[in-house]
Amino acid sequence: MGRALANRRSLRRLMLITVLIALTGCATEFERRFDEAERLRSEAAAADSEWLETGDLLAQAQQAASRDDLDAAMVLVERARFQAEMAIKQAAREADAWAGRVVK
Amino acid sequence: MNLRIRKAAAVPGAIVAALLVQQIALAGPEEDRLAFVAYFQSRFPDIPFEQFANGIYAIDSDARSQWLEIEEFPPYEFAVERGKELWHKALPNGTMLADCFAAQLPDIRGQFPSFDVASGEVITLELAINDCRIENNQPPLEYDSSEMIDLTAYLAFEARGTKVDVRVPDDQPGALAAYESGKRFYYSKRGQLNFACADCHVTSAGQWVRADRLSATIGHTTHFPVYRSKLGGMISLQKRFAGCIRDVRAKPFELQSTQYRNLEYFLSYMSNGLEWNGPGARK
Repeated sequence: MGRALANRRSLRRLMLITVLIALTGCATEFERRFDEAERLRSEAAAADSEWLETGDLLAQAQQAASRDDLDAAMVLVERARFQAEMAIKQAAREADAWAGRVVK
Repeated sequence: MNLRIRKAAAVPGAIVAALLVQQIALAGPEEDRLAFVAYFQSRFPDIPFEQFANGIYAIDSDARSQWLEIEEFPPYEFAVERGKELWHKALPNGTMLADCFAAQLPDIRGQFPSFDVASGEVITLELAINDCRIENNQPPLEYDSSEMIDLTAYLAFEARGTKVDVRVPDDQPGALAAYESGKRFYYSKRGQLNFACADCHVTSAGQWVRADRLSATIGHTTHFPVYRSKLGGMISLQKRFAGCIRDVRAKPFELQSTQYRNLEYFLSYMSNGLEWNGPGARK
């Protein structure tokens, strides 16, 4: 009887530790992706090419993460990263392309 | 063999083409302006050059008749009156704003934008007003504050009938660099919608965008600040820039940022020869 109780307690402890590790891992992964998206947003801004919503998406991602809604946070941060990457590509393309539009 | 020859010939050909594009892009300000005028006069052959100062009201006759009725009781009149009072009111140390300017009315509006050699930057009317206040120990005005709008509305009103004559001095490389930066901004696509200013106001000038028609580039800077009916208030030229940037879903820049001042420099040069006709009224 006493041994079964001890086993159940051990099992609960193990489950709790597993959940904590998973949550911490997600949070760390979120932070990594957030930092990367923010770095790309900043690069787009330095090229005068930041899109309208990118900063707001990152702010919303942080809010979602602070509510422990990591699924939503990940989706938002991915949208921000995608926008920032597109903005950087746009700036690189426009470095030469603008000249072809000059009225002559 | 033939293919190899064609490939070999294509390389210098591509280089020549690239250099030609670059040469065209780097044409001087006056060549740019003349090309603009010729372009818009060929697009709108029935519109006299001086009418481009009226923006879309030069192109759209229905909108023009509505605008002329609005001008019977101009909604910007109160701003002009308030601006006149502010202009003629001494600062606490007794200095008048007018004392800070080399020119006198009605020519103060026409002095800007200009390139300042000392700072290496484009100076706009708003910046010059704030510089004057700072020199006289007064806090600068917010660029879209009613005081700033009122002052610029008054100076624009006084300048009516004088001609836009923005200079890009040949002997100041910084001035040409600022002009080129504004030009590049104007032709560069940006934002989620991937639009350049020129896509709307050059390529598509006169076309409909939902219920509105797009104005031509020349004349864009002559009539600001404007009273916008849809906002129920006055806005500055650079606030309008920010609106366009937002419309293409790009993040707007700060008012009086280097980007907007250089853009104002380029666009104002494109309006050289037209009359200053601000403040204006727009939908």
